[in-house]
Amino acid sequence: MKRWIALGSAILLIAILVAWWVNSRQPKPVVLIPTLTGKPEYCLTCHSDVPQISPSHPVKTFGCVICHGGVALALDANLAHSTLRGGANPSDLSVVQESCGGSNCHSGAAADHNNHIQRVMTSVQSTYAGAITNILYTFGAQSDLTAHYGIRVVRDSQVTTSTGVRSLEAFDPAKATNPAIQKFAANCLVCHINAQPMAGAQFARFTGCAACHTPTQTPVSSSEYGGNQRKKLIHTLTTAIPYTQCNTCHNKGNYDLRTMTFVQRSDQPLPNDRLHNYYQPIAQFTQCEYTLDCIDCHTRTEAMGDGDIHSNEAQIQNIRCKTCHGTPTQLPLTKRLTDPNDIAFRQALLNPVVNLQLGDTVLVTDQGEPLWNTRILPDGTYQLVGKATDEVFTFRPVMGSGCTQNGIDQSSAYCHTCHAVLR
Amino acid sequence: MRPNFFHHLHPPTIPAKQSRWRYTLGAGGTAIFLMLVLGVTGILEMFYYIPTPEQAAQSIQTISYLVPFGGLVRNLHFWAAQLFLIVTAVHLVRVVFTGSYAPARRFNYLLGLALFVFAILLDFTGYILRWDQGIQWALIVGTNLIKTIPLIGNLLYIMLTGGTQPGLATLIRFYTWHIFGLALVAIILTVWHAFRVRRDGGIAVPPPHLRTDKERITRYELVRREVLAMLFSGAALILLAAFVPAPIAGPITDINAMSGEARAPWFFLWVQQMLKWGDPFVWGVLVPLIILVVLALIPYILPKPTNPELGKWFPRSNRFAQIVLAIIALLIIVLTIFGSLPAS
Amino acid sequence: MSDLSRRDFFKLITTALLAVSGALGLGALFRFLNYETEPPVKTEFDIGPVDQYPPGSRSLIAEVPAVLIHSPSGFMALSLVCTHLGCTVEQKEDGFTCPCHGSRYDANGNVLRGPAQKPLRALRVEITSDQHLILHTD
Repeated sequence: MKRWIALGSAILLIAILVAWWVNSRQPKPVVLIPTLTGKPEYCLTCHSDVPQISPSHPVKTFGCVICHGGVALALDANLAHSTLRGGANPSDLSVVQESCGGSNCHSGAAADHNNHIQRVMTSVQSTYAGAITNILYTFGAQSDLTAHYGIRVVRDSQVTTSTGVRSLEAFDPAKATNPAIQKFAANCLVCHINAQPMAGAQFARFTGCAACHTPTQTPVSSSEYGGNQRKKLIHTLTTAIPYTQCNTCHNKGNYDLRTMTFVQRSDQPLPNDRLHNYYQPIAQFTQCEYTLDCIDCHTRTEAMGDGDIHSNEAQIQNIRCKTCHGTPTQLPLTKRLTDPNDIAFRQALLNPVVNLQLGDTVLVTDQGEPLWNTRILPDGTYQLVGKATDEVFTFRPVMGSGCTQNGIDQSSAYCHTCHAVLR
Repeated sequence: MRPNFFHHLHPPTIPAKQSRWRYTLGAGGTAIFLMLVLGVTGILEMFYYIPTPEQAAQSIQTISYLVPFGGLVRNLHFWAAQLFLIVTAVHLVRVVFTGSYAPARRFNYLLGLALFVFAILLDFTGYILRWDQGIQWALIVGTNLIKTIPLIGNLLYIMLTGGTQPGLATLIRFYTWHIFGLALVAIILTVWHAFRVRRDGGIAVPPPHLRTDKERITRYELVRREVLAMLFSGAALILLAAFVPAPIAGPITDINAMSGEARAPWFFLWVQQMLKWGDPFVWGVLVPLIILVVLALIPYILPKPTNPELGKWFPRSNRFAQIVLAIIALLIIVLTIFGSLPAS
Repeated sequence: MSDLSRRDFFKLITTALLAVSGALGLGALFRFLNYETEPPVKTEFDIGPVDQYPPGSRSLIAEVPAVLIHSPSGFMALSLVCTHLGCTVEQKEDGFTCPCHGSRYDANGNVLRGPAQKPLRALRVEITSDQHLILHTD
């Protein structure tokens, strides 16, 4: 019996040693108490190698849980991740209001056009109202070109523009009787920012806010871009969005209305230089259209919406060649920045490629939206700085040059007749 | 040697045959050991557990992940509790299958049965104290079952939950029940139960003039065997707790929004199955109560084991009682197995 | 070779094994009980811009608790935590008194009377680049 008790004691000791060993193998908890919440979180125990997402969202202030959700105290992966919002992407439109919204964050403004989440939820890129409306009209399912349906239900109680619509119902493929519309529903409903991207590395992007603001495509030629574009992990939010990110959806091909299919561009795999990569082979474009990034011209209202539901891309796309270059009889519209609270200063602060000062003159669109990366220097030079490249460009207004343009016709084909670049 | 306190708790000698592992399975003794583990680990958890709806799940996460050896303490408590139910059930089966409930041991049998009920309630109240999404189903259904009792159901519900729906008052009450209403009372009942074993003549054997085997072991040997059992089961428990964590889920955010899987704790899966058959009062309250009453009446109603047959397994004289218990046990096990299969 | 009998040998081994087990168990218990669940207390207090405290002022900062003195030689902060057993001392015209056991300090915090033996702690005062005063209690 004494032998058995000695053996039992030995086994007990072994068990206790095993328990100590298991305890020592547990990761040492790394605590973070963000100043915004005051509550401890332990995400960094495992995720300490994730870089800070942006200078505007410092880790010490925000922590992780305020955007991502999750169980703050858990060190077991399953439990910790069980309440994550939107999986790895809290900006997916289904959860964006809880993650990015709030009165102190991106949905706090009372005015529609300053409420980022409201703007995105009603923008054409997220409602897909333009394509849906046009298809329904073309194939006789509705009698006008005003949007009634979108990819999901959207309501807008604050309509400020003349083309804004109060609400959209969700387009229901089951109700389509026309075979063309049925085919549209089967093939084409993936063209909005909350849809999963098509298969293929060139289409890879996230959904929601991250579709644009999280760069997933490295630039074609890395020497063109500064170091801030090279990020190993995708935990990034930026306003310096390169054209390659827009091109995860755009310039990838054309839709064929007869067969209701998407025909990808013919030059696959994509060529490695900007001139040939940017637009598809059939496209016509000028020099600025391929040397600048999309966002160097297309404004925040164009890309993210103005808070109203529009029926067509044309109702929100305001940039014209004449916005920067003017017409033979008119200089481009400008605005002198006299108000320190002008939105141009906030935008320049977020992406400091220009040192915008009070009293600077910037170009504006017909709607009065400032192009904050442009300036008319004191000596009269027109200057634009690339938002994603930091490159400085100078350009001339059309007035006083040899241009024989009819100032009224601002369709792109018109300027392309003379200025289109040879590929 | 001079007997110490623990030696004195035991009789000077006991019959050798009935002291073998294969006779008692060590079930009663192991149950007491598990109670000891539960008490110590429970007290340790009380240093960190916070019984409010906002903090309960969080404090359990603190214990599981942040407190040094906290996870081990919690897992020990959990596994000791689940094993306790199994070991006490084995003990009940052993007592019936060896006819050890014959007079004068009938009252002690009832004490044991009461302790079994206490064990189940302790497991349930402990489960609720997690206050996370995994227990929500059981909390809502369990408390609503009380409401189905005719005449006094609503009154009992308010007594149990402290309000009109589960909330802060419920959690505090379950905490109080768990520690004082159930565990403390169970300790007292266990002491009484152990005392009655000695008072009723020790382990059940035929009277001396009918006994053929005269061999006995001393109290020293008995204590040694108990120490051995504690060493091995302690080691097994620690290894189990070190490698298999107790269940945990995200905190309850809205008491009415049930997001977890709709599952009873494993020891109530048989009741969950029966609840699918019809009236909740009949199948959720009445039938379990009837089973309990039948078990309680075994020593009083059914043919008793005769003296010559005491002290061995499967005596013929109380065969009917063995069959009754076997059927009840089998039904509960089968229902539990059905309940544990994934929902079709 | 000792003449330890086999019985005693096993007894020794068992005792040793159980002793080590017990020590490890107590060690685990000790570590278990020593965990702090509350976040560390605040040791830095931003009490506002410098011009809020004009020269010659003695301002009570209840949050710390401390008194901020703006003397000709600069800023000084005296902790109002009694050095005896930690009660908050009360400000009088010529010093401080502690309501708990009667300790008395002069206007500079030195002990005049009472069970306290050490003077009131001088807290470090920091002036930030944007002219805010920070009191440090560590």
